[in-house]
Amino acid sequence: MNSDDPRYGTEVRCRMAALTGAGDLPPGDDVVRARTGDRERGAEVVLAVRVADGQAAELRFRAFGCPHFMAAASWLTDRLRGAGRAAFTDWDWREVATALDVPPVKYGRLLVLQDAVHELAGKWPGHGPVTV
Amino acid sequence: MSSVIYLDNAATTPVDPRVVEAMLECLGPAGDFANPAAVAHAPGRRAQQRVERARSEVAALIGADPAQVVWTSGATEADNLALLGAARFYKTRGRHLVTSRTEHPAVLAACRQLEREGFEVTYLRPGADGIVEPRQVEAALRTDTILVSLMHVNNEIGVVQDIGSVGRLCRARGILFHVDAAQSAGKLPIDVELDCIDLLALTAHKLHGPKGVGALCVRREPRLGLVPLLYGGGQERGLRPGTVATHQVVGMGAACRIAAEEGSEECSRIAGLRERLWQGLATQVGATLNGHPTQRAPGILSVTIDGVEGESLLYALPGLAVASGSACATTSAEPSYVLRALGRSDRLAQSSLRLSLGRYTKDDEIELAVQAIAGAVERLRAVVPPVAAG
Repeated sequence: MNSDDPRYGTEVRCRMAALTGAGDLPPGDDVVRARTGDRERGAEVVLAVRVADGQAAELRFRAFGCPHFMAAASWLTDRLRGAGRAAFTDWDWREVATALDVPPVKYGRLLVLQDAVHELAGKWPGHGPVTV
Repeated sequence: MSSVIYLDNAATTPVDPRVVEAMLECLGPAGDFANPAAVAHAPGRRAQQRVERARSEVAALIGADPAQVVWTSGATEADNLALLGAARFYKTRGRHLVTSRTEHPAVLAACRQLEREGFEVTYLRPGADGIVEPRQVEAALRTDTILVSLMHVNNEIGVVQDIGSVGRLCRARGILFHVDAAQSAGKLPIDVELDCIDLLALTAHKLHGPKGVGALCVRREPRLGLVPLLYGGGQERGLRPGTVATHQVVGMGAACRIAAEEGSEECSRIAGLRERLWQGLATQVGATLNGHPTQRAPGILSVTIDGVEGESLLYALPGLAVASGSACATTSAEPSYVLRALGRSDRLAQSSLRLSLGRYTKDDEIELAVQAIAGAVERLRAVVPPVAAG
């Protein structure tokens, strides 16, 4: 991995080195998935969460995108572990933009992640779809 | 640097030690450092002799007369001087130019400037193999066409254009023909007389010479008019005023001489390495080739590796110095305009790598590069979402 490229901060480098949270979860009634983005436009993600006792017990991601996007998806799998549905509903992309020092030109890709997180909230086991 | 395999020779090349030696002879107090225009004294005359010898070495590489060679700061300036200079000089004859969509930004930006000045430019679309057919050029010519500009070797995908055929059809119609030969000089045979080239842009740093120096070869018989870009002293027949950088042009001359002497054998070796690299990537990661399969320069390989994102792939290859899309566009997140002109989707354009080999590329580096890319691709593909059903 590129350990000396100044375009990527320490957190991005660590995430890209380990790709923590990459993969999928075994299917089950307690597992929901969200797919957002468009590979043709450079960013696509599938987020999976297993819910236990109303909280996200486990998260996994698969992603196609730049290092910032991949690292952000990995970061989310840690950040939202243990969180409830409300935290998913309220989650805002700016949090990961700050945490990973994502350059503004890539903010649009973080919205892809936000869409996925919100979609998971809408599919939360035991709740009906969220209506706006 | 020593642990990195350098496969970005289309962006620039290391300076050959023999070139460095020649340049050093023109820098120190005991060397030929004097102003080559100061012919009133011996040091100036020695410097002038160095400059003129270098001019002859550059001319010899491209079948030109030394008097045709005008020093510039590189190919970008040479392209600008050629296009802007010729169009402005001949604007009463016509205001139409022809070029292609896959030219270097030095040509495309100069054309945009001419459009702002009231000229019309036809941008030809190459085929899916990157080739602009001479009949396409012929079909685009008009009675008011004054100049055609076509690069010899594309800097991104390495395809070779048939400049001889285009040159001859332009010459038959009295239309000026400009060629950007930045990527081909010293690697492919060029003969400005045989190929009917009126203006040819060169740079030293693509053929193991120094950065910051290039040349424009300008037809002399019949004399071709150019409006200069700069004004000052009368150096370079007034076409490029300013003190000639002796050490730079001597470096370019040495680089051209070495290329002329060794280029043929060297290019055969490099083409063999490029083929091994291509076969390795095709076999191990299912890479697809960008550009014509055979009509290509020896050292440039452009491939698309589906299923991986270009920036992440580059990130995952710290041991390789390679380019994603155009070297000149690596600061941009935009997909390569060259690959898009060939009909590649944005995604495929963004999943492309350019690997360019040179004089110092070693045999064993090819296998190491293939292994590194295969490993990175496997790792990235493992986390890519499966294709959505339906």
